[in-house]
Amino acid sequence: MVSINYATREVNCKIVYYGPGLSGKTTNLIYVHEKVPSSTKGKLISLATEADRTLYFDFLPINIGQINGFTAKFQLYTVPGQVYYNATRKLVLRGVDGLVFVADSQPDKMDENIESLTNLKENLAEYGYDYKELPIVIQYNKRDLPGVLPIDALEAKLNPDKWKYFEGEAVSGGGVFDTLKMIIKLVLAKAQSPSTGKSQKLSEVSSGAPAPRPDAQIPSTAASTSETGENRPLEPAISSADKTSSINSPIERPVPIAATAVPDEQPVLTRQEAYRSDIRQEPGLVSLPDEKESTIQDTNTANAVMQKVAVESGSPDSDRPFPGSSTSRISRRERRITVSDFQPAPRSQQYPVNDNIGTEDKNDNTEIESIMPKPTMAPSTRVVKKKRGLFKRLFGIK
Amino acid sequence: MSDDNLIIYEEEIEKVDVILGKMLKGAEAKCALLVDKDGHLITRQGFTHSLDTTALAALLAGSFASTKEIARLVGESEFSVLFHQGKKDHIHMSLVGDRSIMVVIFDDRTTIGMVRLYAKEAAAELSKIFSSLLDRSQNSKPGIDKEFTSSAVDRLDDIFQD
Repeated sequence: MVSINYATREVNCKIVYYGPGLSGKTTNLIYVHEKVPSSTKGKLISLATEADRTLYFDFLPINIGQINGFTAKFQLYTVPGQVYYNATRKLVLRGVDGLVFVADSQPDKMDENIESLTNLKENLAEYGYDYKELPIVIQYNKRDLPGVLPIDALEAKLNPDKWKYFEGEAVSGGGVFDTLKMIIKLVLAKAQSPSTGKSQKLSEVSSGAPAPRPDAQIPSTAASTSETGENRPLEPAISSADKTSSINSPIERPVPIAATAVPDEQPVLTRQEAYRSDIRQEPGLVSLPDEKESTIQDTNTANAVMQKVAVESGSPDSDRPFPGSSTSRISRRERRITVSDFQPAPRSQQYPVNDNIGTEDKNDNTEIESIMPKPTMAPSTRVVKKKRGLFKRLFGIK
Repeated sequence: MSDDNLIIYEEEIEKVDVILGKMLKGAEAKCALLVDKDGHLITRQGFTHSLDTTALAALLAGSFASTKEIARLVGESEFSVLFHQGKKDHIHMSLVGDRSIMVVIFDDRTTIGMVRLYAKEAAAELSKIFSSLLDRSQNSKPGIDKEFTSSAVDRLDDIFQD
């Protein structure tokens, strides 16, 4: 299954080298790894036994660079050839896009070739793949050894489906690249979309036109700025559209949990919106989060964690509020209303905490407490004073 | 099955990234990867710049696949959660939908319980997105265009030289 990722702008294909044990599958990969430019290849990973026999798979990613704004990547896998590793061999076949069958040309290995080929068909069938529909190339390897079977004999026994074949000498590299090029061509041809309407997709995107889906607009700079997966720096899976938006807005705010987690709660958001107008001038909050700006960056993660710690230390029993979330703001407003019930302070004095919103709840609390007299004590003193004055006035005591 | 190309659009990845980011913050983990069971990396969030994510994705998918076989041998259909414990860093893997794996890498600043809690929530949200994505992929089968194929084939001769 070819994977086309419009967000990372990659086309990924999986090619598996199959064949009997010691036929030269890993040698093929080693040769490719040695010869291709370093910008093209990734690390060759080999899950092998101590005796250097493949235990699970070998893996070599090949990146042939950007084509029409998309990076074409091929992941080359080998399977363990030994018969008793069939369980792991089958796993590697999952999601395969193209197969290279590496056959051993020596006469005494013919049975093993046939067994491996049969096993391949069985394993593909278990995944529900039809081997007749899969791009397959045969490499008759070890042609440099003396006494190998002629190609006709090999073809007659191993290739009834007339797949394309190449003669190989994997140790010296003969036929390795020819095989690889052919299988890549076949895989790409297979992945090509049959209808013309759909085949416009990649070219449209690459030429800077809007993306095929109307709500996923890709700016024209996207193709030129996108990089390969390995080279992308700190902010990894951020789409190109978001990159541009983050350039426009000076500081991107972390996403309010409540806003994203429960987008349907309109009343909460409205209240929050109304409240935002009061705090627009806060120094710590340059731009306010909209639904569209809900991308999280690495740099913001650290900020948000620090802010969160501050919030939690201020109100330990709160339900893990997040700075900027509707929960924390609304609860803060509710606290103010309680204060005003006890003492109708001047408005300027009652709302002095605008500088602190979103930074620390602790400061907020202390300032409110300084304004607020003890709720139980304050009314009682006032009542006693009033009663005494009235008594004195009634009886004319001076 | 191999006929269906997996197409992932930006808008879906944006949603996925938001969910992963939220999960990372909640669990205070280092990074998260979303990996196809075939070994392709779908997206990543957090501090992944020092990681070879391509190789990681292939190996993690392989690791997950092998435990599936182990599960079958003990009479389970599949293990949905996998945990690797290291000296400093640990890896938590959980199944998302039918064909994706969410990988969370974390260290001792948080706990496995926190990661499991948030990963479970995130996996539930992600599986909804992926089920709709797969439905669409099955209905429409777009592929790569001819121009792309011919350009790629032209480039092969330059790259693969003996």
